Amino acid sequence: MLGYYYPNEAAEPLLWHPVLFAYALLVSGSDLLILAALAYLTGSLRKAIPLMTMLGIGFFAVVLAGPLADLRSPHKAYLILTSPHITPSATNPGISLIAFQVIAWLIALILSIVFALLTFSYYAHQASLTSTGIRKTIYQAFSLGVKTPEKYRKAEMVAKGVAVVMIPFLTLWGIYPASLFVAQTWNPVWRNWTLLPVIYFADTFVVATALFMLAYFFWRFREMERDVIVPVLKIHAAGSLSVAALTGLQMAVWWFWSPMTAEMVSPLTPLMYAVIALLLLSFLLSLIAMRYPATVVAVALVSIVGTFANKWNIIINGQLISKTGLAFLEAELEGLWFLETAAPIALGVAVFLLLSLVFPLEVREVGK
Amino acid sequence: MVMLPAALAVPQAETGKRYAMLIDVNKCYGCMACVVACAAENNVPLGNFRTWIEQLVKPDGSRIFVPKQCNQCDDPPCVPPCPTGATYRTADGLVLVNDELCIGCGACIQACPYGARYLNPVKGVADKCTFCDHRLAAGLLPACVETCPTGARVFGPLHEDNELSRTVHSRPVQVLKPHTGAKPQIYYISLPDEVNR
Repeated sequence: MLGYYYPNEAAEPLLWHPVLFAYALLVSGSDLLILAALAYLTGSLRKAIPLMTMLGIGFFAVVLAGPLADLRSPHKAYLILTSPHITPSATNPGISLIAFQVIAWLIALILSIVFALLTFSYYAHQASLTSTGIRKTIYQAFSLGVKTPEKYRKAEMVAKGVAVVMIPFLTLWGIYPASLFVAQTWNPVWRNWTLLPVIYFADTFVVATALFMLAYFFWRFREMERDVIVPVLKIHAAGSLSVAALTGLQMAVWWFWSPMTAEMVSPLTPLMYAVIALLLLSFLLSLIAMRYPATVVAVALVSIVGTFANKWNIIINGQLISKTGLAFLEAELEGLWFLETAAPIALGVAVFLLLSLVFPLEVREVGK
Repeated sequence: MVMLPAALAVPQAETGKRYAMLIDVNKCYGCMACVVACAAENNVPLGNFRTWIEQLVKPDGSRIFVPKQCNQCDDPPCVPPCPTGATYRTADGLVLVNDELCIGCGACIQACPYGARYLNPVKGVADKCTFCDHRLAAGLLPACVETCPTGARVFGPLHEDNELSRTVHSRPVQVLKPHTGAKPQIYYISLPDEVNR
């Protein structure tokens, strides 16, 4: 039989616009904070912690700007906090992942800021001794009264506790919005992309480390330290290889166990091949960059292009497949969608730059 | 053909009326009177539809018309994702949207397996069929049911003795996409398999 027509889908095939695509960079803020917390807890990568923390907070603080810009009634956005659907009732069964994530974001952001303040408290005190005017006042406030190495050791213990608590909340964000796509939508592509949460988790580590490398490169330029960049490159290489492998595995699962799904997602497969190729290239470049650190820019850019292609394919192209699975619709992008998409990312960069004016991006041992 | 055992299709005891609809595909000839009546009754913006009619063309050229709309599901997939609780289920089994609480995030639209929801461009909120709850409150039938010239749409409470409940309990009926587990409450007679994509 022929002649299907689903008017409601045709009316607005692209419900979630490319502005949501800003998640690709912004969600990575959570992974940067996870890395910073893990590094702090294990005592490794200490030199990288300040940059990771500031970059992480910068992006994570504005992570909701994308979805906020995509709301049709943004002036009522506060209702997610004042009337969150996080407890089931007879009239409202189930719980909303969106509401849950917004609350998790708020908790994780507060914990991350507390973590940053505690870890920088003694440095803030030291900075207050040499600064004047408003900067002195800011540093004194941020020192939290930690004025001696003994007090700082106590602050470090508290910071470790905060780091432990914030990791689960940040991990929830690491797999978001993939968890929403798989669990609470009936989009036929997302619903059948069973490895999506794992791919997103690995993917955000790739973007997080790529962002770190870019920031570190432009900050330190020729003075990059191998003991900082090499461990980050190892994480990046592992992430790139994981995303490439998981994407390939998902395609294989469709081919062998769900031919109907494989046929349905066929418009998405060319870009999936491109993603695999780009992330494998990023993996290989990471190995080279471990020997020649100046090439980290190439590693970061290749992986960012790869993860952007991946996110575009999943979020935008995924919506263009009709709920019947029979049609691949055309995206109708209107107005200044590109600038709209870039704005939340620019906001994240701006917050990071602002933070870098106040907080140090490199660690100094206590007393130095 | 997906044959749904009546015992499975009918929801368990409800506190309210549990409104449902029965659509006989054999009786629909695609006049669109229901679509127009719905749009007029509910101020549906141009380009959007609360109910619509899908048209299937058989290889021999003959046509089948399948009216569709919100299925007022018993286990509605659109309700849990709503971040503010704007989408809710009444004791009578209606799935409705509280415009005051809806922020227009589109989560419910993505969650609906039937494509029955849309973002109302005028109000900036999610919109869908309500079974004309304002008419029900006044003791009237939904606009689409009242307008249908062939009586293809039958409406009523499922737990009371009426044409709808008698048919649903005695004849083989089908629902759309039963695999979703949504327990839709629009029952069909003579629904072609191809519609369940």
